[in-house]
Formats: sequence, C-alpha cells, structure tokens
Amino acid sequence: MAGERRADAAALGREALAYADTLYNLARYLTRSPTDAEDLVQETYARALSAVHQFTPGTNLKAWLFRILRNTFLSQYRHERHNPTVGGLDTVVAVAPGPESTQLLRGDLELDRLRKVVGEEIERALASLSEEARTVILLDLEGLSEVEVAQVVGCAVGTVKSRLSRARAALREKLRDYSR
Amino acid sequence: MTCDEARELLLDAQRGRLPADQRGALEGHQASCEACAHEAAAEALLSEALEGRLPQHAAPVALKRRLAAAWPDAPAAEPAPRRWASWRRALVPALAVGVLLLAALPLYYQRSSGPGEPMVTEAVNDHLRLLSSQHPLDIESGGMHQVKPWFEGRLDFAPVVRFLGDDEFPLRGGAVGYYLDRKAAVFVFHRRLHAVTLLVFRAEGLPWPRRGLERVGGVTAQVTTSRGFNAIVWREGELGYALVSDVDLPELARLVGRLAAAS
Repeated sequence: MAGERRADAAALGREALAYADTLYNLARYLTRSPTDAEDLVQETYARALSAVHQFTPGTNLKAWLFRILRNTFLSQYRHERHNPTVGGLDTVVAVAPGPESTQLLRGDLELDRLRKVVGEEIERALASLSEEARTVILLDLEGLSEVEVAQVVGCAVGTVKSRLSRARAALREKLRDYSR
Repeated sequence: MTCDEARELLLDAQRGRLPADQRGALEGHQASCEACAHEAAAEALLSEALEGRLPQHAAPVALKRRLAAAWPDAPAAEPAPRRWASWRRALVPALAVGVLLLAALPLYYQRSSGPGEPMVTEAVNDHLRLLSSQHPLDIESGGMHQVKPWFEGRLDFAPVVRFLGDDEFPLRGGAVGYYLDRKAAVFVFHRRLHAVTLLVFRAEGLPWPRRGLERVGGVTAQVTTSRGFNAIVWREGELGYALVSDVDLPELARLVGRLAAAS
C-alpha cells in the first residue's frame, strides 16, 4: 500500500517536473526576480509533494501546480515590495476606446504600435501591472480555460472573464504609454 | 448586438469558443461598427505579441536538478519470475527498436529538431512575411553603403554585414524586422529570381543549438531545411545571423562564405 502510494507520487512527480519551465516562467513574472522565482518554484514543489494525496487523478495537474504556486506567492511575497498598483483589478475601470473619431485615430496608432512592439517592451509593460493582472494574463497565455483560471486564483468564472478583459486593457494602455 | 456585448465576446471569438450564431452576430456587428472592429484588431495583435514576443524564462538546470532530487523516485521494478518469460519475448524486438532509435536520433535532431528549431521556424516565417508583403523593403538598395547607414537610429545594435552584394547575389535592400523577441536588421539579396533573406540580430539569450552544427562557408552553423526552405543560422560574437531562401543549399552556402569572408 505504501509502495503504491510512493509509486503514485513518483509518477506524479515525473509529470510535475515537466512543468518546471512553465512554473518558473510564471514565478519570474510574479516575483520579478530570478532568485525569488527559484525559491518560489522550489517551495511550490515541496508543498505539492506534501499534498500529493489531495491531487485528483484525471484533473489538470498544471492548474493544480499553478494554484499552489500562486497561493505560496501570495502568502510569502504579497506583503513585500512587489505590488505596484493600489486596489485590485475588480475595482479598476477598463480603458476601452469608444466610437469617437479621436479615439479611432488613437486606435490606428495603437494598432501600428502593437505590430511593432518588441518582447522587452511587453515584458516591461506586463511587469508594471498588478499581480492579479499579470497572473490572469499569464494563465490565459498558458492555455488554461476560464474555469481552470478561476480554480487557480480562487474566484468565480465570470470574475476571471472581467479581470482578464481589464488586465488586457491595462496592458494595452501601458504599451500605448511607451509609444508617446 | 451592442458594443458592450460585442467586446465581451472578443476573447472567446479569438479562441474559437463561440458558437456559430454568436460568431456570425459578432462579425456582423464588427462589419458595421468601426470602433469594435478596431477593438477586435487590437486584441488580436495583443495576443499575437504576447504569444510570439513575450520572453519566456526557462527554469535553470540547477533548479531542475534540485527539484528532481527532492521528489521521491519510483520503487525499483521487481518483476515476478513467472512474468519473465512473456517479457523476454517482447524484449528482443524492443531492444532492436531501441538500438535503431539511438542510431537515428542524432540524425533527427541534426536536421529537424532541437534547441535551435524555434530560431529556424522564426527565420522562415520572417522570410515568408517578406515574400508576401507588398512593400517588403524600407530602403531599396543602391548598394550596402546606402543600406547600412539607413539602420542607424533604428536598431539598438549595429548590424555587421560587410558583403556588398555582387553579380551573383545582388543586394536588393533592407528593412527593420522582428526576430523572436527582438528587432532585426533584414537584408534581401537575390539569386536569379529567388529572394534570399538575411536577418541580423542580437545573439544573447537565444536558444542556440550546440549539437548537429556544420562548417558552412567558413562558419559553424545550424543547417536546416524547413517547409521547403533552406536555412543557415550562425553566431558571430554578439550577433546572430539567419539566412533563408528556397535556393539550393550549396548556393546558399556560397553566400554564407562571402558574408563570412568579408566580415
């Protein structure tokens, strides 16, 4: 019985280790520090190992690991220096261009800007967003469904949709700022 | 459909999650609403930028080793003696397949996969973008002496290309392009009726392959055929070079030789 559990944990571990790059990438964008990201990923795996019996086979292992990583980040890093915005995304009004002609002109410039933006600028813009915004954008980028993102961040599916929309609007606003 | 409703559906539409009727309604709305059409285009470009250009940070090897060491290994397999006979029947062909795979893998990695594969894919994509563009060149060539100074102030590095073009490979012009997460100087040469794209970019931080490299035209390069295009990718100091075309590999190698000899 103990042997079976150990074999299960080992099998899960092999699968979990395949996500090391993905988890580290998210950790880098959350902590903005290579050293902190390494510590965060290591702590995530340690917690995952101790909670391996709580993982439901057949569910999304990547999403489960993301949830552990994010919870670890929130418990260890949130009260430090890493949160640049005051208030959460749910209280931020998204900036969306309206139908006025001046905004359309600005929209044209924005499209041109988005075509030319380089990786370093996107990274910088993303890093300047709140932790909530960075998280939903990166989880969405990882291909997690809204239901899975909701499980990772612990909110309703509808909230994920609105957070993601606002986060992307905030990112576009930052990228517009760089072109001025 | 209102603008608010249309914008709520944008991301679902991008990800192909909308049922046909909603997709039709959204497309109908965007066709008649310029603001929402702009919004859809901006969201699509933002996704393209995030998916294609946002730097991805790989976990350091030392961290991976620590993680692997911390996770318990599977218990060693102890096959029951009575099962050995049935395993033995499968073992011989399995070993034969294993030996074949071991022999074939280096060849496979050399030509079609490995750390440099995203770099080749991006170079071929850039070449295809140039071919399909109506105005591929920002500066038409009057020779390298005219093209190279044009890049000043447009890039955060100086592209080192000293081959000026000749009768066999005339230089057509240049443009500023994007290679993975960074800007690139794009030079377009011609060989008869075929375009040859040379991308020059900062080499640092890219997944340069270490295996399967060949000596070509005086440089050590990754030589690959991808989607019918020949690609030669190499590094010289702080700069990376990618040459892509549908001309034959020996001809492309001759151009590499001229670029390397002149630099």
